[in-house]
Amino acid sequence: MRKAWYAIAFMIVISPLFGIILANMVGYHEPLDVAAEMLHLKDISDKINWTPFYDYTVPGLPDTIGYIVSGVIGVAVVYVLGKVIFGGAKE
Amino acid sequence: MHIPDGYLSLPWIVVTYIITIIYLVIAWKKARAQLTPEKATAATTLAAAIFAAMMLNWPIPGGTSLHMVGGALAAILFGPWIGSWILALVVATQCFVFHDGGITALGANILNMAIIDVWVGYLVYKVVRKVVPGEKGIVLGAFLGGWLGIAIAGAAAGVEIGLSPAFPYGIEITLPVMFTWHLLLGIIEGIITASVVYYLVKKGKWVIA
Repeated sequence: MRKAWYAIAFMIVISPLFGIILANMVGYHEPLDVAAEMLHLKDISDKINWTPFYDYTVPGLPDTIGYIVSGVIGVAVVYVLGKVIFGGAKE
Repeated sequence: MHIPDGYLSLPWIVVTYIITIIYLVIAWKKARAQLTPEKATAATTLAAAIFAAMMLNWPIPGGTSLHMVGGALAAILFGPWIGSWILALVVATQCFVFHDGGITALGANILNMAIIDVWVGYLVYKVVRKVVPGEKGIVLGAFLGGWLGIAIAGAAAGVEIGLSPAFPYGIEITLPVMFTWHLLLGIIEGIITASVVYYLVKKGKWVIA
């Protein structure tokens, strides 16, 4: 199990390379975002936003660092919820 | 794969939420009976790993990208009921904490990634295992399960969007586009799924059904 957590940590550390740096350099997006762009649809996500970590950013931090911090936050949330949900199922 | 807010019409929002909630209640009852303390810990770890893997957007020629979904992987390792809950946990966290996928589309996103991807991946894997014996069957089944799971899930997203008047193009456009896109992108998902399953089998760390 320890190796799995090393792999998770590694993925989080290198994630800005794929999620921010290469994305900005090459200009790629997810398929649905590309479709929306082609159709000139207006992105209203930021107008109905409910979280300070919108799109894996952290207020006050550069995008790359924010992406890593978001990864840590996300993994922590998933871990705690997983412990509660799957741990509760054993009872 | 994550459908944002504004893409789905109200009937699709309601229908996908209802299907997803009913399914998750049934899946929870089935998953409960299968979970052991070891499986619970491993399922939580896999959920965390899938979350981290989804943050890696791989560039694809043509200006688009792919990230791992992991539905077939979760289903092969834990079965479809626990697998669905693993993916639902990840997709809900992405939505509520990072606004990745819309709140109105959460039912559809869980339906596509935690139900359709999981079940297609699982059933394809099972069929291939029956036809192709031994280690080859495990690897081929995991590859095809990962590949087709994400392709069919992408097609489902195309149907949901295409049948929603809120989206300017109809199903005759959205279905083939989403299916073809994810069929191409899914090759990487298949390779990753097969690699992880093969690694765990080789190391003797997992009993694969």
